[in-house]
Amino acid sequence: MRPLSIVVRTICNIFAWFVAIFGAYVILHGHLTPGGGFQGGAIVATFIALLLVAHGGKSFLGWVKKEIFSSFEGAGLVAFVCVGFLGLSTTFLYNFLALKGGLFGSAVPIGPNAGVLNSSGTIALANIAVGLEVVGGLSAILIFMFLGMRYVSEGGKEGVKDDK
Amino acid sequence: MMDIAHIAILLMIVISAFFAIWFDNLLNAVISLCVMSLLISLEFYILQAPDVAIAEAGIGAGLTTAIYIMALKACRSSRWPGKGNDKNERS
Amino acid sequence: MKGPRVIFLIFFVIFVGILCQGLYNIHPYGEPRVSAMDDYFINNAQSERAANNVVTSIVFDYRGFDTLGEAAVLFTAVMSVAALFRKEE
Repeated sequence: MRPLSIVVRTICNIFAWFVAIFGAYVILHGHLTPGGGFQGGAIVATFIALLLVAHGGKSFLGWVKKEIFSSFEGAGLVAFVCVGFLGLSTTFLYNFLALKGGLFGSAVPIGPNAGVLNSSGTIALANIAVGLEVVGGLSAILIFMFLGMRYVSEGGKEGVKDDK
Repeated sequence: MMDIAHIAILLMIVISAFFAIWFDNLLNAVISLCVMSLLISLEFYILQAPDVAIAEAGIGAGLTTAIYIMALKACRSSRWPGKGNDKNERS
Repeated sequence: MKGPRVIFLIFFVIFVGILCQGLYNIHPYGEPRVSAMDDYFINNAQSERAANNVVTSIVFDYRGFDTLGEAAVLFTAVMSVAALFRKEE
């Protein structure tokens, strides 16, 4: 797929980063505001799709290798399982950090309030792990389908020639 | 006031779902599905489920449309070589 | 009228009848019939798990095993897409 026109690319260069920052905000504030790992990961994957469509696959795959997204995905799932196993002295996925002080351990006031960022124990860690997994997974689906589309449109003889 | 918005959004969901299966051109059907996902996310927000609304707007209206359009482009260029932009094709 | 179309018509009528029966017995919007578990989560989730977003504390803590299965399903889907669109060497 060829890159789109200069107007689309300029608008994408300006506004795509707001999408990425909003996705990171939704992931990191998952225990305070609506959203969480899945939703924020989907928003960041939309950012990847925007860059991929506006700049074309050749220059995008020159910036980022596609193995990075696969490794994000595996690392996210392993980190989520590790967060689960860390609380195994009580049960699997026990929230061993909440209300203990220290990392993510402060208490929140009861009732409607703005919330404390350093709270909620392993919920924040699991949010970050699932967010990493969803970012890697959905971006990997997009990039693999994009490469497969180029493979089909070239007649299926040579495979993908110029992916870096 | 809220009931009017509620009923209007539900009616627009039904209309866009009808157009999604009524169009012959598949690209128009995909865009109509995208509009339906966006309206469904607005409906979830009215029903006070902002988590589901964010997920629906990100996945349904963003990623699914991109994946459908990629699949459509790949199918066109493999089945009808050189006729990708023809308006009269039976896509 | 052919045979399969008659079978489709019979099942369509049964389906519409079940839908009408469910619509007749629908109960009003915004009033859950059983609310013991909802009340427990709304009253105690903030003090037990120290997270303001009760939905996230249910998804990632009370029902964390469900989320693990969901993440595994996503991993399997990505793996199958990668296997389908791989380069043939």
